[in-house]
Amino acid sequence: MLPFSVSFKPGLSVHEQVVYAVKKACVAGQLRPGDPFPSVRSLSQDLRINPNTAHKVVGTLVAEKLLEVRPGIGTVVSRAPAATRGQRRTLLNEETERLVVEARKLSLDLQEVIDAVKDRWERLDR
Amino acid sequence: MNPVIQTESLSKRYGRTEAVHDLTLSVPEGSIFAFVGPNGAGKTTTIKTVMNILEPSSGRATVLGVDSRRLGPTEFQQIGYVSENQELPGWMTLDGLLAYCRPLYPAWDTAFAEDLRRRLDLPSSRRIKDFSRGMRMKAALLSSLAYRPRLLVLDEPFAGLDALVRDEFIQGILELAEQAQWTVFISSHDIDEVERLADWIGVINEGRLHLAEPVASLTGRFRRVEATFEGDAPIPSPLPASWLGVERAAHTLRFVESAGGEDDEACVRAALAGATRVEIAPMPLKAIFMALARTFRTNAAGDQGKAAFLPAQAREALPHRWTETKR
Repeated sequence: MLPFSVSFKPGLSVHEQVVYAVKKACVAGQLRPGDPFPSVRSLSQDLRINPNTAHKVVGTLVAEKLLEVRPGIGTVVSRAPAATRGQRRTLLNEETERLVVEARKLSLDLQEVIDAVKDRWERLDR
Repeated sequence: MNPVIQTESLSKRYGRTEAVHDLTLSVPEGSIFAFVGPNGAGKTTTIKTVMNILEPSSGRATVLGVDSRRLGPTEFQQIGYVSENQELPGWMTLDGLLAYCRPLYPAWDTAFAEDLRRRLDLPSSRRIKDFSRGMRMKAALLSSLAYRPRLLVLDEPFAGLDALVRDEFIQGILELAEQAQWTVFISSHDIDEVERLADWIGVINEGRLHLAEPVASLTGRFRRVEATFEGDAPIPSPLPASWLGVERAAHTLRFVESAGGEDDEACVRAALAGATRVEIAPMPLKAIFMALARTFRTNAAGDQGKAAFLPAQAREALPHRWTETKR
């Protein structure tokens, strides 16, 4: 089993979606510094994605220093400093954008959106 | 890198009907190449010609560097081929079938075959005639993977398979990527089936190849554009050749931008300067395929916009892989 999950959406690049899912997993604590990262083979097999795409995903994450290659061990999650609040906020940008676009399409005003978010937020605490 | 499959102006006629017309295509090594088109587009005929089951009427195909008409045991020991209507000897058990195939392939790997059999959840001692359709397809895949072919050719492998079997089948295909040299050529009428699997797409319609390009480049250049105007939406004249399926309803103009390129979004926004809102969104492969299919239909009536589905940089000089139909 992979230590993170990806819910694929059509229309977005598979590469970007997997990279995003890994970043999210790092921020959310599903993947922690020093944790072994799955091989290209298990990424491809478990997510049923093209092995070339899986290879590219690992390459991107290594280049962005989220992963590091340890000779003789494999790829592990970097001991980079924990994600800052800013980095975590960046991860939300895409979703926020989508929410705003949808709300505007429905001609809702900002307050109505804030109320809806607040409602959902509180429901999770219950 | 040498292409694993290469066709040059390949045509195949049955009597007066031309099933495949002037098809030039190359399948790069290490790719999962999806060959997509509606039923009756010429996919199976192309594959059968490439596999030396049919002779080309004109043009040629090479597979692993060998002319398709000269393909023999040496090549077929390195090629796995599974077709939608695979014939398997029903009186044999799966073990019997594998024992029958094993001596034909020097590279047969018994341990790998057994591992695959377990992963594909196939019973070893039941007769194949009692297998379901899905089990039969999995058995055919197993007998084509056990010798780790350099090239795996799959003709509509998912047709009529339920979701679970399809998933097992895909996992089986991905096993191949473990080895040094591998290529998968897979035909399908349903692009959704191959969206996450393929890194190259070829689109065939009415016997003609309409495009062959890496998936990343295809999804990179197609964008759905929706623009809203204060008054009635204007349609620019002349219409940019890269705008496909332009539709207008009251204040809204909608089309598919197919040019791609660095300044593509800026160009679109400039062309829609009067709009109050412009939304540019990426498209799923399925939607790209539908937009292209509609364009084929429109273009069948005339030549106008024929090059519209080619990327901007390919329109002037056409390298062979951006194959355009010649008339």
